Amino acid sequence: MEKFSFKDVLVTFAGLVITAFIAWILISATGNNPSEVALYLYEGGFKGTRNIANSLYQATPLILTAVATLISFRVGMFNIGINGSMYVGALYAGWAGYKFTTLGHFTHVTVCILIGMLVGAAWMLLPALLRVYAGVSEIISTIILNFVAVLFVSYMANGPFRADPIAPATPRILETAELKQIFPNSQFNTGFFIAVFVAILAHFVLNKTTFGYELRSGGDGLVGMYPSRFSSYLGIPSDRSAIIGMLISGALGGLAGAIEVLGAVRYFFQELEFNQGFDGILIGILGKLEPIGSIIASLFYGAIKNGGFYVDYKTDVSREIIIVLISILIFFVSAQKIVKGLEKYPLIKKLDKFFSRKKI
Amino acid sequence: MSKNTAIHLKNITKEYPGVVANKNVDFQVNKGEIHALVGENGAGKSTLMKILYGIEQPDEGEILINGEVQVINKVETAINLGIGMVHQEFTLVPSFTAPENIGLGQEPKNSQGLIDWKGLNKLVVDIAEKYGFKVDPGLKMIDASVGVQQRTEILKTLYRNANILILDEPTAVLTPQETDELFTVIRTLVDEGKTVVFITHKLREVMEIADRVTVMRAGEVQGVSETKNTSIAELASQMVGREVFLQVKKDKAKPEEEILNVEDLWVHDARGLLAVKGVSLNIRKGEIVGIAGVEGNGQSELVEALTGLRKTSQGSINYLGENIASSTPKNIRRKKIAHIPEDRTNTGLNTQLSIWENLIGNSYFRKPLSTKGIFNLKKIAQHSNKLKEDFDIRAPNISLKVKSLSGGNQQKVVVARELSEDPVLTIASQPTRGVDIGNIEAIHEQLVQMRDEGGAVLLVSAELDEVMAVADRVGVMYEGQIVKWVNPKEVDQSQMGLYMAGVKD
Amino acid sequence: MEWIEIFDLSIFRSLLRSTAPIAIVGMAAAICSAAGVLNIGLEGKMLNAAFAGVYASYTFESVWAGFTAGILAGLLTAALFGLLSFTLGADEVLAGLAINIFALAGTTYLMRTIFGQAGFFSDPRIVGFEPISVPFLRGTFLEPFLSDFTYSVYLMFVLAIFLHTVYYRTRLGTAIRATGENPEAAEDAGINTARIKWMVTVFSGILAGISGIFLSLENLTMFTEGMSAGKGYIGLVASSFGNNTPFGTFGASLFFGLGDAIGIRLQGVYELDSRLILMIPYALTVVVLILIGIRQRLRVRPVPISESSIE
Repeated sequence: MEKFSFKDVLVTFAGLVITAFIAWILISATGNNPSEVALYLYEGGFKGTRNIANSLYQATPLILTAVATLISFRVGMFNIGINGSMYVGALYAGWAGYKFTTLGHFTHVTVCILIGMLVGAAWMLLPALLRVYAGVSEIISTIILNFVAVLFVSYMANGPFRADPIAPATPRILETAELKQIFPNSQFNTGFFIAVFVAILAHFVLNKTTFGYELRSGGDGLVGMYPSRFSSYLGIPSDRSAIIGMLISGALGGLAGAIEVLGAVRYFFQELEFNQGFDGILIGILGKLEPIGSIIASLFYGAIKNGGFYVDYKTDVSREIIIVLISILIFFVSAQKIVKGLEKYPLIKKLDKFFSRKKI
Repeated sequence: MSKNTAIHLKNITKEYPGVVANKNVDFQVNKGEIHALVGENGAGKSTLMKILYGIEQPDEGEILINGEVQVINKVETAINLGIGMVHQEFTLVPSFTAPENIGLGQEPKNSQGLIDWKGLNKLVVDIAEKYGFKVDPGLKMIDASVGVQQRTEILKTLYRNANILILDEPTAVLTPQETDELFTVIRTLVDEGKTVVFITHKLREVMEIADRVTVMRAGEVQGVSETKNTSIAELASQMVGREVFLQVKKDKAKPEEEILNVEDLWVHDARGLLAVKGVSLNIRKGEIVGIAGVEGNGQSELVEALTGLRKTSQGSINYLGENIASSTPKNIRRKKIAHIPEDRTNTGLNTQLSIWENLIGNSYFRKPLSTKGIFNLKKIAQHSNKLKEDFDIRAPNISLKVKSLSGGNQQKVVVARELSEDPVLTIASQPTRGVDIGNIEAIHEQLVQMRDEGGAVLLVSAELDEVMAVADRVGVMYEGQIVKWVNPKEVDQSQMGLYMAGVKD
Repeated sequence: MEWIEIFDLSIFRSLLRSTAPIAIVGMAAAICSAAGVLNIGLEGKMLNAAFAGVYASYTFESVWAGFTAGILAGLLTAALFGLLSFTLGADEVLAGLAINIFALAGTTYLMRTIFGQAGFFSDPRIVGFEPISVPFLRGTFLEPFLSDFTYSVYLMFVLAIFLHTVYYRTRLGTAIRATGENPEAAEDAGINTARIKWMVTVFSGILAGISGIFLSLENLTMFTEGMSAGKGYIGLVASSFGNNTPFGTFGASLFFGLGDAIGIRLQGVYELDSRLILMIPYALTVVVLILIGIRQRLRVRPVPISESSIE
């Protein structure tokens, strides 16, 4: 995918402005005060230790799902199923959290996380195989598996993994499995650091290792570019890269779910809802399919999301408006012709060239 | 010109940036004749026909159809004037039958406003019969042989009331038997009053079927003759020209031991037809072996078989004593065989990646570019920048995405990568296609240098000039076989033309 | 045996009822796919229409107001998709996805903000569709089988026949199919492929909208957050399984409907967990995908070498 060119920044910025404008209209139209909303949005995202901590907490799974999605995209697979991986990863991490009673803290957390990642990866196996060996669109298969995941997990939480006959939830995880929460009244937990670490690791592996090179040599564009003749010609097995890429993505999705359960929720209940998988797709695109960009975009999105909760709490405006606005932003960013159209203006071209001179 | 002239393209000139495709071309076709338009790739025949069919507009000149000046700026206009064209690549809908394809867009309707399939089917069968061939109205194109598909295309033009049919390299995709069938159809068409223009490079066929022939070379008309008054040799010499355009400074080759020995190789193409039919060749260290021939005679498949991109059906490829037929590309690269592919944008490069990411494609896993799987970015930058300099890749920096480069520069990236790892054997397929003159020379020099340093080069190119100037010995490939081996210094171009046209001694 | 308990008249009726929403949106998907447009955004159209339908029906206390609003919603969403994909050059899949996310969040937001309720919204003021008693079936033995359904079931049959006719017996139909299979051939024949793609997008938007309206205004009159629950995607799979033809899609939809209906019945008979029952359509979809994959593998046609057709 294009690295950040000036054009993209301009379009994103313009998109933000227009989105804000639309937000203004929407909010006023439903009888609320836009500037009030804007204020609460800002406060909820950025003001005060608690809000900041919560924003970072919101960002945690987003970072992982964004990186997970971008890895799939970059190996050439259009994977929309990370949300599903998150669900199953969360469930099984939660299960491991109360099942193993004799482990020390560090070991227990590690085991839970690994199990979550394993299950998340396994969830991606079927779509990967279907695409590589039978040409079945991974777009549809991953989307459908999302729905299956939600129902499956809900069933398990209600059935085999149920804690006691009354409450539809799994038992609470043991203390030894917890990711510690640092601040007293925030769900921010050490999982955040894991997420950031993983993202940086992904950046490193993708861009600076031979393994990462082999993974993305056949793709690296937005539209699923698998299969690629370039890879085969170089002697790199693109089938293997595609499958491994999908598995890694699934593992990261599972990790996101595991951290949510181990760090914040601490048990799995039926109504638990994850949407970060889908948000991750949008963030990955906003971050231009680069892990570092995803970190930044996730922090931004997390803050906005938290701000949205605050707005929801303080006014009549429902928090979904945030997603509405973000998707409008995506409309802009994805409209390639707008970006290309900007090239006509010589000033833009000059600024573009200026910003793109860099070494590796 | 009398009304007997179906087509008169008068003084046509057409330029594209950097190349004059047609220069003062005067092309006349009489009513009811079979007229062959002959020339090598790039001679200008396709452009001329595109102008006639309304796909392109001439910069200068005019078009007369049946004696009247016409302005053809849309394909629709050409069709309305009775001109029909069968392209080299068929435009058929695979799951449709012949009548469905033929009637597409203009299907006849019955009284309730629905399509009258029965009527259409009958109409198509009738038209076919009138011109001497049968059509199966229930057969889907995807299940039909190439010959049938082609006849459907011809029927399409007839359904639209074409009186002038242009067939672009029609026999390129046909077996000899299908070719005979096609010729029968053409003769019947002409008997029924149609005029046929037949674009080809196969001179044997020209003599067999055409009444008159126009030869083009380098955008100009070289000659117009009646086939009964000319010969293949004469046409060949007109086609290929007598001047030597290209000269590459090189010393005499000093070939050493043999490193590649291909024995009786048979290879199928993507459609399952035989493309390489028993090719044998050998290459020694210190020499450049060239494969000449018009594209589509099996060269691509030969190269793919040699580089592990296509399975061989029969025969062996012995490289330094080992049979590498049906080996993987990875293996072949490990043996220090480099491949400059004919498709640079999809195969030779990943245009979404940067220059350096493309340059290290065959060396990223080795020290010093990477140690234990981790890139040493500094060394990579050094290596890439040196390649950029050595091979004169014009770009502001090596982080630029390859898709922003010009065709010539893109090719230089490919060449730089392939030649930089000291290959023992380099297989270069159409290495200077789409590359400007200055860079063509550079690439040729690099290939010669490879040779002088003891390497071996197999150069496959449809550009006769290139092969004759660069290679030390040349095999001419025609319809899957090497029909003749020549010493470029001892054969003249018109003789080459004959070989390329399929004439063996 | 228990089979008699499972297969009877009510399951037949349940089958038709379950098939209808999939079939209608499936045919919307089929038309788009036939023209080469990958319309992932059908979910969003259904959802928007479902909400618009409920809103209009509630506000104007008329089911036909709801119907009109729903169609409009589907149409506008489709226009948005067309604008993004065709005019502004966005990737079709991305645009469709973004529209779905937008629709989900948007309808949830509107429901919470306008009606002040979360989860679902139901109100006696919402007027829904009543089942129709088909006049010429009254008194015949077919009445219990085919009468007293709501509109969607009848629409499904009408649509299948209508679309089949258009597909195979009109110029528009061949133009659509040609555009999807080989746009160059279509253009060569004088067909304006851009216009075809727009037409197909708009029409499928209307159909998806209709399917959405029936979701919220037919058997139950309420709007639930995310109530389309993947039916748009299932419709896509159904049409793919049915080779993007009207009857094929109808058949494939029957398959899904059957799974649904059996599931509902099994729940009554065996008291299975409701979630497992709900999983059936999706599990079926995965099965169908695998079948499609197998079919694709078996389909590698050897290219026919020349056969003479000149006698």
